Amino acid sequence: MNKRIVSAALAAVAALSLSSCGGKAEKLYLFNWMYYIPEDVIEDFTKETGIQVVVDAYASNEEMYNKIVAGGSGYDIVVPSGDYVSIMIAEGLLEPIDKALVPNLANVDPAAIARIGFDKGNRYSVPFMMAAAGVSVNKTRVSGYEHSWSVFDRADLKGRMTMLDDMREVLGAALKSLGYSVNDPDPAHVEEARLVVERWKPNLVKFDAESFSKGFAAGEFWVVQGYAENVFIEYPEDRRGEVDFFFPKEGTPMYMDSFCVMKGAKNAAQAHKFIDYMLRPDIAARVSDYLMLPSPNVPGRLLMKVKPNYSFDDLANSEFKEDLGQETLKLYNDAWRRIRVGN
Amino acid sequence: MKRSPGRAGAAGGAGSPGGLYAAPSLFWLTVFFLAPLAIIVAYSFLTPGPRGGVEWKPTLDAYRAIANPSFARVTLNTIVVAIGATAVTMLIAVPCGYYMARSSRQTLLLMLVMIPFWTNFLIRIYAWIAILGNEGFLNDLLIATGLARQSVRFLYNRGAVMLVLVYTYLPYAILPLYSTIDKFDFSLLEAARDLGASKLGAINKVLLPNIKGGILTAFLFTFIPIFGAYAVPLLVGGTDSYMLGNLIADELTKSRDWPLASAISLVITLVTTMGVLLLLRANGTSVLGGSGDGEKPVPEASSAAAYGAQAIGGSR
Repeated sequence: MNKRIVSAALAAVAALSLSSCGGKAEKLYLFNWMYYIPEDVIEDFTKETGIQVVVDAYASNEEMYNKIVAGGSGYDIVVPSGDYVSIMIAEGLLEPIDKALVPNLANVDPAAIARIGFDKGNRYSVPFMMAAAGVSVNKTRVSGYEHSWSVFDRADLKGRMTMLDDMREVLGAALKSLGYSVNDPDPAHVEEARLVVERWKPNLVKFDAESFSKGFAAGEFWVVQGYAENVFIEYPEDRRGEVDFFFPKEGTPMYMDSFCVMKGAKNAAQAHKFIDYMLRPDIAARVSDYLMLPSPNVPGRLLMKVKPNYSFDDLANSEFKEDLGQETLKLYNDAWRRIRVGN
Repeated sequence: MKRSPGRAGAAGGAGSPGGLYAAPSLFWLTVFFLAPLAIIVAYSFLTPGPRGGVEWKPTLDAYRAIANPSFARVTLNTIVVAIGATAVTMLIAVPCGYYMARSSRQTLLLMLVMIPFWTNFLIRIYAWIAILGNEGFLNDLLIATGLARQSVRFLYNRGAVMLVLVYTYLPYAILPLYSTIDKFDFSLLEAARDLGASKLGAINKVLLPNIKGGILTAFLFTFIPIFGAYAVPLLVGGTDSYMLGNLIADELTKSRDWPLASAISLVITLVTTMGVLLLLRANGTSVLGGSGDGEKPVPEASSAAAYGAQAIGGSR
């Protein structure tokens, strides 16, 4: 996801300054991805309910999790991806969702819910957005490519391509290109995947999750692995037609970000109110319009004004990243470390 | 440092107010340096927790992992970048400091050195990306003037990392050098010349030994932060510019192996501490005080005379 601390801080300040109602205003502490919910959506929630929302932002699941584990308490809502939902359930960090307070949960696409393995039955999590990193190609510079991970094998594009600085995304891509699962625990398969990445590596400028979309927009990079919302928000609006964003046909790792209520949250009632608000069709549509992503909210889809940059059908071959467990995680870490430090 | 024994002796009888004076800095050092360092040392000998953090089971696993040749590679790369960038920084900073000290417009020049600090560090890195990029300012210029037919890739390699590091830490080297050179009595150079030293000889044997303290301070101010660099290699480095700072961050946040991250941090701390100690030993104890007012003109003059005499002896 995007990482812009400044705007996140601004959002937090804006949220703080919203305390228009006098007396003891109800409050809600939201710990959310940067750039994920437009500010006006949160402002409108405060207008409707009088609940003041204090926003704090993170750039990765790891950052969020480390902060919570290190004692960052006081948050009511967090928005982890699936693998971290299961980790946080296992660690006893989450409060069960009271579904009676979230009637709009019925709006979420049953097909999307059916794919969830990290919290079957959604006892602790309410699906918010479902997406995946894909590949973006600058069509004015590159032609004759397939919608496949093999694009990173093209030596003629050497020095013009980047992949994410993200172990799960890069190894997941390699595993998928070999026909394995993105959560494959077999050491032999992980080793094969490592060799695939080593083969791609000489063609890559860098592994980058911070500034690749700026470089792509500037014409510096021609093929980048990354999230659609990052790529398109950065790209000049009048030239967005130049971008071919696709999910490689072999499949991709994907994720579902879900709202969760923190264990012992002081404002659990307000948290449920907020989650239900976010699942309202008009609000879901506004968020998806902003991110230019397809919405898992079925009635919300009809209200969208912007055409999303892909549809859920494109994610048919994709697979949720699951928590790997300690042993397999070590395997992936070792492979990734070898790739990064160059053996 | 030299003065402390005398002071302690004098103050000893009077209920030792020295300890009281030292209390704030002692407190500072304990809370913000020794305690964190102790935590890092302790963590490096523990077992990584399943999802970050540590478990209180002692092990040497982290150090075994460091013995892996891949770490040696990253360490070597870090050392090469740090030494190279520091050397270039010093080569630029010494003449700059000299010029500033000799100039009649010192305030203006000082301002110019400080101005970059007005802009955020990250924004300045992004500015370099805008200048050096394939579609950047420099390439536009090269192509427009016909010096290059295709854009040249300046970014995302070790050279770019070193360039931006030099740019970033140059002020930290110039300022201590300037303040030392500014205090140098330039008539000593004339004296050395009168005694027969060549122009270069006078600089080598009179100026440089006298500004040694400033040079070493500047060296430490650049070498130590560059050795732990994180953001610069992350943003302008390529697939081969991974440095120890990046490794620590990845182990801490992505691999969630806190003991390993602690062990690598300790390696950095040890390498820099050893470097500092070696430098201090090789150059006597007055080194870090060199930019202060500890040195009196008398020893300078005597050393200048000595060097002058040496120069005569050497050249005739």
